[in-house]
Amino acid sequence: MEARLTEIERNQVLQYLGYRGGGVSAEVEADIARCRAQLMAAAKPRAAWRLFSLTDDGALAGTSFVLQGQDIRLLLHDCTEVILLAATLGSEVERLIRRAQVSNMTDAVILDACGSAAIENVCDNLCADLAATFAPRYLTDRFSPGYGDMPLSQQAELFGVLDVTRRIGVSLSASGLMLPQKSVTALVGVADRPQKMRHRGCAACNLFENCAFRKEGSNCGAF
Amino acid sequence: MERSELIILDGAMGTMLQAAGLPVGQLPELWNITEPEKVTAVQRQYVEAGSRVLYTNTFGANRHKVSGCGYSPAELIAGGVRCARAAAGDKAVRVALDIGPIGQLLEPLGTLRFEDAYDIFKEMVVAGEQAGADLVIFETMSDLYEVKAAVLAAKENTKLPVWVTMTFEASGRTFVGATVPAMALTLTGLGVDAVGFNCSLGPKELLPMISELRQWTTLPLILKPNAGLPDPATGAYGITPEDFTAELLPALSMGVKIFGGCCGTTPDFIRALNQALPAEPPLVKRPPAKNGVCSATCTAALDGVRVIGERINPTGKRRFQQALREGDIPYIIERGIEQQDAGAEILDVNVGLPGINEPEMMVRVVKALQSVVDLPLQIDSSDPAAIEAGLRAVNGKAIVNSVNGNAEVLDAILPLCKKYGAAVVGLCMDHDGIPQTWQGRVAIAERILNAALSHGMKREDVFIDCLTLTVSAQQEQAVETLRAVRFVTEELGLHTVLGVSNISFGLPARENITVNFLTQAMHAGLDLPIVNPNQAAVMDAVSAFRVLSGQDRDAERYIQRFANAAAPESVPQAGSRMSLPDAIMRGLKAETAALTREALETQSEMDVVNTLLIPALDRVGERYEKQEIFLPQLINAANAACEGFEVIKKQIAKQGRDSVSKGKIILATVQGDIHDIGKNIVRVVLENYGYTVIDLGRDVPVREVVDAVIREDVRLVGLSALMTTTVVSMAETIAAIRASGHDCKIMVGGAVLTPDYAEEIGADFYAKDAKQSADIARQVLG
Repeated sequence: MEARLTEIERNQVLQYLGYRGGGVSAEVEADIARCRAQLMAAAKPRAAWRLFSLTDDGALAGTSFVLQGQDIRLLLHDCTEVILLAATLGSEVERLIRRAQVSNMTDAVILDACGSAAIENVCDNLCADLAATFAPRYLTDRFSPGYGDMPLSQQAELFGVLDVTRRIGVSLSASGLMLPQKSVTALVGVADRPQKMRHRGCAACNLFENCAFRKEGSNCGAF
Repeated sequence: MERSELIILDGAMGTMLQAAGLPVGQLPELWNITEPEKVTAVQRQYVEAGSRVLYTNTFGANRHKVSGCGYSPAELIAGGVRCARAAAGDKAVRVALDIGPIGQLLEPLGTLRFEDAYDIFKEMVVAGEQAGADLVIFETMSDLYEVKAAVLAAKENTKLPVWVTMTFEASGRTFVGATVPAMALTLTGLGVDAVGFNCSLGPKELLPMISELRQWTTLPLILKPNAGLPDPATGAYGITPEDFTAELLPALSMGVKIFGGCCGTTPDFIRALNQALPAEPPLVKRPPAKNGVCSATCTAALDGVRVIGERINPTGKRRFQQALREGDIPYIIERGIEQQDAGAEILDVNVGLPGINEPEMMVRVVKALQSVVDLPLQIDSSDPAAIEAGLRAVNGKAIVNSVNGNAEVLDAILPLCKKYGAAVVGLCMDHDGIPQTWQGRVAIAERILNAALSHGMKREDVFIDCLTLTVSAQQEQAVETLRAVRFVTEELGLHTVLGVSNISFGLPARENITVNFLTQAMHAGLDLPIVNPNQAAVMDAVSAFRVLSGQDRDAERYIQRFANAAAPESVPQAGSRMSLPDAIMRGLKAETAALTREALETQSEMDVVNTLLIPALDRVGERYEKQEIFLPQLINAANAACEGFEVIKKQIAKQGRDSVSKGKIILATVQGDIHDIGKNIVRVVLENYGYTVIDLGRDVPVREVVDAVIREDVRLVGLSALMTTTVVSMAETIAAIRASGHDCKIMVGGAVLTPDYAEEIGADFYAKDAKQSADIARQVLG
């Protein structure tokens, strides 16, 4: 299955930009339309995934990767297998946003928001394709290192086991940041019965760390 | 070698070790020391299957990947060479020191400095040579800049032959966008001994790439593909050794001489390969290589007119000189973006100015340009140290501008061009000045060509500049220049460069003369004009020439250029009813600039700043706080105000006075953090409030911030961090500034920060957004 970027939702972009209702000027509307088109053209979405059996003590079979934290155990409670996945928009998008930070900062923030919406779309599409592949079994929500009580340090282990850098060209910095920045890694459980969407919520959102809504004590209403 | 010319490499190592019990995700290199017999056992199978070059089990044995494992890179590498040697036994098998990517993304996309990558590779290749490796193979590379660091490290510190294979996607690009022609031009220039592909895809998918690679280089070619494409669910590879071999064999007729297998291949694959390859390699005549210059992602092939943009140059440009003196890199690289947008295909880079450390500035500007522009670069300097610094920092194949007919200049600069694989511009002048006849200039051109050849450069990398003289001063010289261009093109068969703008100096309506001369010169054979691409008439002339010369097939680019030409922008008239604050509020740049010019007729620069620009920005800020407008509009307004400030800066620079500044502020995204878009927004806003911002960038070491605070003696520092993991280094940075005893104020911002936390780590202010950072600046600096 190919990584697919099918849509950059305008409303999601507006939300990421800090829009709180009221009017959107024609100029900004035009800027957003232009940036969406640029980002769609620059994106080279890629994804890698692999299925692992779970051992009784919460490790991925055949690896030294032991899942840490109560939250992931809860998520995978009904699961005997887990999918590791990673997706990225590629380095062209990174370059596009950096270039705009020099030549046009307005475009840069809009492109950045478009990029966040785009990688969410790629992940949603990938999970929909995986759900179809694994039917009639069921998938859990996506869960990433750093969510809930899973330490961000597990990111490095996930990178090693899934061979993320070689397969889709995403590298991990010493402080645990992914490059290109518009990239996502996650775990998705495979279960024999329908799964509650228990982790849809702020903690499960990739923007959790820098969400303006959350800092204001509210939320974006997406979940 | 059993076969005189064909060389068989080995197959996969990692998966073989996993089959022997190595857990997925664990460091394979450890086994060189803890389980050497298991490593040797795998390699012995490959030797028995027919491998005549064994790769050591040292792919990831770099300082960064093995830190904390208990062994140094040198120990793991020595162990790796020992294992391979043991497997080779007394057979004629060469041991290749295998080196893969460092695993950290290099600048400009990542944070690993080119110089640090060089050190990491140096440590490895030196250890490999000491341990007795026969050659070095850099494989699975996707970043051409990283490869350049690696190749330089090997060539400058060892005598080992250097092979390079990179990994491409089916799109024909690597993960970071490098292309096959760029790889070929750059690596051929750097003097590697063999190039090719490994990993990435199966043999079938790599054949089209080999077919492209052989058009751009005459080096021996390597092919080491995966066993087809993996099953995503299990990671298992599908094709059989027989299919693999069958798919690989067509590469023989393309001239590939070095074969092996990557992920998913086993000794069975190598055995099948060994049996299927003919005893005698077929006679394949390789085509002559195409030539060009390139960045990692963009190649300017030398097969027609290629425009070199001249605007990154301080000569006669006050504003540019000021930017150089103030280290205002964004201003400089914006000139690069502007020229690329206008149609430049190569950028000339000249940063020479009295009082500027030219080599250091050259590196800064080259690296900054490469972060936002993907055009090939022309390093323009007369200082060999600046030229070498620039050539080292360039990612791709550059041009050096320039040498002339003087022996000492040729001897100083041509070896640098050879070493870094650059092309060179030779000016037709020497100690005696510029010859007044075309014959005299051609004679110097021939002398330069011969010198280049004797230094080992290729003929096609010598570009000749027949020199443009001002027609109003020496009228007869225009014709001499054109004759020289024609002769150098037709008789010497060399590419020519010419800075054309100079022709019209001192005449009215210069553009007529410049464009007409450019057209005649292109007709005479000029293919690398150095021009100002922002002049539409110049680019129009080039577009038209490309149609008439047949370079622009079916006039496609010409039609595109003029079909998309927008109606000329209406120039805002002074005296229009819009006020300057209105223009800023609506984010209208051209209007803001025009209205600022108008205001300067009656008010001083400082008055315009304080009574018009700043109050307008304040109003925008208030509306932002009330959520009447949101971020894009805030920045649009700041950008518009920026145009106003730019008008003021230019006026001040023209009069040679000190700039208006409300004070200096240092900004930095702290060590370990690379999310700097927020910091950059703050920079734009602060600059537009009239502050001078010293932007230290992202991932800035604690020490560097402290040094800058003391050196610049600023009263305000802004730090940003986005992640919980990097707020820690923000706290360290603050502690270090306090420990230095400097009494500057510190403001902090970033997604995970809160006012309480800011106070806890010792900051003076918490800025929740860019608007607030401007308020804080006003409170501290006035």
